[in-house]
Amino acid sequence: MDDTPPDLEVGNALMLACASGDRQAFHQLYLNEAPRMLAFARRFTGESASAEDALQDTFVQVWKNANRFRRERGSARSWLYAVLRYRLLNQHRRDSRYPAGDFPDQDWPDPGLSPEQCYLAGSDRKIMIECLKTLRVERRRPILMAYYMGLSYEQIADSLSVPLGTIKSRIRSGLKTLQACLQL
Amino acid sequence: MIPDDRQEQHLLIAEYVLGLHDAQRQQEIAAWLDRDAEASRMASQWQEHWLGATELLEPAPLPPRLWRRVARRAGLARPWWQLAWQSPGLWRTMTASLLVVVALLLGPLRQDAPAYTVVLQAPGEASSPGWQITVSNAGDLQLTPLVESRYSAQHSVQFWTLKDPGKGPRSLGLVEPSQPMVIPASQVGGVQSGQLFELTLEPPGGSPGARPTGPVLYIGRAVAL
Repeated sequence: MDDTPPDLEVGNALMLACASGDRQAFHQLYLNEAPRMLAFARRFTGESASAEDALQDTFVQVWKNANRFRRERGSARSWLYAVLRYRLLNQHRRDSRYPAGDFPDQDWPDPGLSPEQCYLAGSDRKIMIECLKTLRVERRRPILMAYYMGLSYEQIADSLSVPLGTIKSRIRSGLKTLQACLQL
Repeated sequence: MIPDDRQEQHLLIAEYVLGLHDAQRQQEIAAWLDRDAEASRMASQWQEHWLGATELLEPAPLPPRLWRRVARRAGLARPWWQLAWQSPGLWRTMTASLLVVVALLLGPLRQDAPAYTVVLQAPGEASSPGWQITVSNAGDLQLTPLVESRYSAQHSVQFWTLKDPGKGPRSLGLVEPSQPMVIPASQVGGVQSGQLFELTLEPPGGSPGARPTGPVLYIGRAVAL
């Protein structure tokens, strides 16, 4: 049985319709997904104009390549964010400046549930958040800086004034914990 | 170089999904993912899980201009100048406006300079002017069609004016669709600002009474120049 959450399934169906040239489906996909993608892009870039440019490019690219979407490889939403992040990363690395602003981990407990507890407690969608909560803040923070701000190892080390080797070690330890928690 | 150790491979993919490496290394890993279906599947799993983190973000209101930009770039919307170029309403409005401007510019040079102008439009369609009226200082009325109109032989188009609501409309005669027409001042009577003019669709030969009986085709009010 397909246990894909309904909103992801809607996104998949709309993307498949886009592949057949359905313009209304494309508009609906935009209305459904773009608001949170814009929030993501703004946090990534730290300002609106670049975020809107990236979002525009993402949707144009997705419309033109919708026939390459394969549901078995992942959800439409996952594809949208992958395209958006790729676009943002390219722009970001060209600009080589760090965006301003925080990311949404300010109120997270440290530590939270154990990895085993959170996997049992979390639904598929929420499990990443629960797993991130299990990380100590010095590991979680650089990982979130990479995800929400698109910073590389060097940029994170520079931004946190921590040696590069230490940052790499913290992030890799954190990713190993996440991998175990997510049961990947 | 891609490590052989499976655990190292998994970490490499997790780092790749976050974009932690420099551009050259990212490309190297991307090429590997294209070749290795299992590695590609692992990358997809990480990406799916990271979607959960996006749900912590409050959705942002979308500026309306953003969809217009997307639609234009995606080839879904024609550019504004193309829409305008193909818009009959815009052309009619521009034609009517041009006539008014020409009347304003040439007016002082002519003996029978227009004192009033009226743009007759289809009811409820402000951007659909159908006829232009100019009334000279001498009181002669020129009725000029701006659009091509055709009606069945079972109908006549009748021209009316309403100066005093208490007295009701007064017929100015029948009009040939799409044909200009001049009505002498003696028949028009005096014209004043705000005076109503209209064309109605009537039985052959015109309204049987002193009042319009058919639907209003075009209507407008006199504006002093």
